[in-house]
Amino acid sequence: MTESQNDANYFRSVVTEIEAEAKRRSTSGEYPRALLRSLDEEFRRWIPDASLENGVEDTIRGIEAAAYIDAAVPVDSRNPLGRWVKWVIRRLTYFYHRHVAQQITALGIHVTRPLRLLDASLKSVDRRLSALEDRLDVGTTARAELIAGIAAFPIAVDFGEVLSKHLAGAPGRVLLGDHVDDEFLQLLRSGGIDVYGVTSSIQENHISDVRHEGLIEHLGHLEDKSLGGFILCGLTDRASLNEQLRALRLLLLRSKPGSPVAVIVVHSDVWSTRLGPVAADLFDGRPLHPETWNHLLLREHAQDIATIESSDSTSTLITAKLP
Amino acid sequence: MISVHQLVPTISPRDAVGNHTLALRNILRDLGFESEIFSMFRHQDLMTETHYVDRLPEDAQAVIYQMSIGSPVADRWARHPGKKIANYHNITPISLVGKWDGLLAAEVQLGRDQMARYATICDHAICDSDFNKAELDALGYQSTETVPVLFDISEVKADKKTLARLRRGRHGTQVLFVGRIAPNKGHHDLVAAVRTLRDIHQDDAHLHIVGTDGPPGYRRAMGTIVSHAGMREHVTFHGSVTQEELVAHYQAADVFCCLSDHEGFCVPVIEAMHHGLPVIAYDCTAVGETVDDGGLLLPQKNPLIVASALHRASTDEHLADRLREAGQRRATDFSRPATEARFRDCFLELMEPT
Repeated sequence: MTESQNDANYFRSVVTEIEAEAKRRSTSGEYPRALLRSLDEEFRRWIPDASLENGVEDTIRGIEAAAYIDAAVPVDSRNPLGRWVKWVIRRLTYFYHRHVAQQITALGIHVTRPLRLLDASLKSVDRRLSALEDRLDVGTTARAELIAGIAAFPIAVDFGEVLSKHLAGAPGRVLLGDHVDDEFLQLLRSGGIDVYGVTSSIQENHISDVRHEGLIEHLGHLEDKSLGGFILCGLTDRASLNEQLRALRLLLLRSKPGSPVAVIVVHSDVWSTRLGPVAADLFDGRPLHPETWNHLLLREHAQDIATIESSDSTSTLITAKLP
Repeated sequence: MISVHQLVPTISPRDAVGNHTLALRNILRDLGFESEIFSMFRHQDLMTETHYVDRLPEDAQAVIYQMSIGSPVADRWARHPGKKIANYHNITPISLVGKWDGLLAAEVQLGRDQMARYATICDHAICDSDFNKAELDALGYQSTETVPVLFDISEVKADKKTLARLRRGRHGTQVLFVGRIAPNKGHHDLVAAVRTLRDIHQDDAHLHIVGTDGPPGYRRAMGTIVSHAGMREHVTFHGSVTQEELVAHYQAADVFCCLSDHEGFCVPVIEAMHHGLPVIAYDCTAVGETVDDGGLLLPQKNPLIVASALHRASTDEHLADRLREAGQRRATDFSRPATEARFRDCFLELMEPT
């Protein structure tokens, strides 16, 4: 092996060590999550959009600068005589060049005026759009920051047995998402359920067949009627109302008729007690009450809807069968 | 006498493509060809050495187009009756510049369009890297080869004043990056990485950025990012510097870090290696190929990973020494005489009478 190959192998092993170390320290909480979140947020905040920031303004300024014509023609030359001849010609023709240059400059300024109008109207559209976005969802950033620091609520063990019975005979693979608890997944598998996990969490799972991607994104890749059932959890206590409704809608579309389905929802009082007043204020109306899920499933004509509370009274399991 | 001229949209000193074009002209002249440079925008210092584009003689046997941005100069090259040779330095994709600079976005888009359009009329294309070559091959260019860009790293001495200033009162790890302040060069990622390095490992690390300003929007955003990240005292923008000052920067730094999202070659990586700086780089586009076995190539540029790599390279003496040695070994692959010889062979073959 050459020296160069030796070095290459050594450097590769160093990079692997660095990655493993960073991952280990990151998951163990040794690196302050808040720091990384604030950095990410900081940098995203200052990335402009040509139409939102000064991209168009700068472009117009560039055109304006280029539209200014300098009538003083350069007189550099390789020899002094050439330079002198050029200088004489420049002096003699200056009146002509200046006249032409002034007209071209004026034309350039007239050309940039409509661009300035366009820029002003783009900025106005942007301001109105920002105002509209603010009205639709105030505090998205603050909530995203908060969510990133909240650990998932564990799934009550006593739901395992109920779900094993409920999902037995499901007409296909069952999806568990977006909170995947290794023990819970194992419990369902040992009960003979063909279940796989989908989670957006970066934490590693020790069980195979867990997809690390957003639930909505994952559902976007699936064919209609490809699932034999689902257990919706995790997302129910942290996603926005729109996201929860979108996830439910997609899960219903991707499930076969007659599929057994389930939703696990943490009690809102447990949620706010455990997470404190900040979360309670910023996540107003979250998580949804079990009655709301009941209502949503009923709207989709789900049958045999049942509600079971966990033994520690922290969460509720809603089970149903699709029509 | 056989004429082999060059066309370049813009020529200026202290610019990789400009220096390469001037160096290539000298090689062509040494080979006995008549060779001049024709450009649309010429820097004041190069007025007497170059010619305006409309002076390009129609009877030249070959015309080399230095392809790195969209320009009407490319159309002039395409219409020329002589042998058409492209020297491709890569064109930044519009996705990386569009948000920051409308004019630049239009120019790079034009460049990419021209690049695709001229695949059938180009007789031969010389590319800085295999990455660049692969792009042209994919567009259907029939004859392509890789010859690195010409740059000189051997003769220049460090500016003593700059070196003394940089070394005076320095504390902690000095991280260096050299490159135009443009969004594709990932300066914002560097600030994030060095801030993470300061917060987690070394509270006295400092980032030195050498290079001219690119899109004004990005430069402004960089200033705001640096302020809001609390890094105003810990990041220095040195602007455009002379070759002597640049060497002083390489000599004063502890580690060179490149987090570019797009590079067609990346000359500063080799310069840093030549000057014995450990190199850490994000492995993307042509960067991995240029660094090769001479530095630490990171598959991702998560600030935690980059900060850990910077910390390791600046505290682990064994690793730093091996990086220095490997880098210097790699830099010899791009020595000026070796690259010049490759260009000479290439043009002797291309211009051989048939």
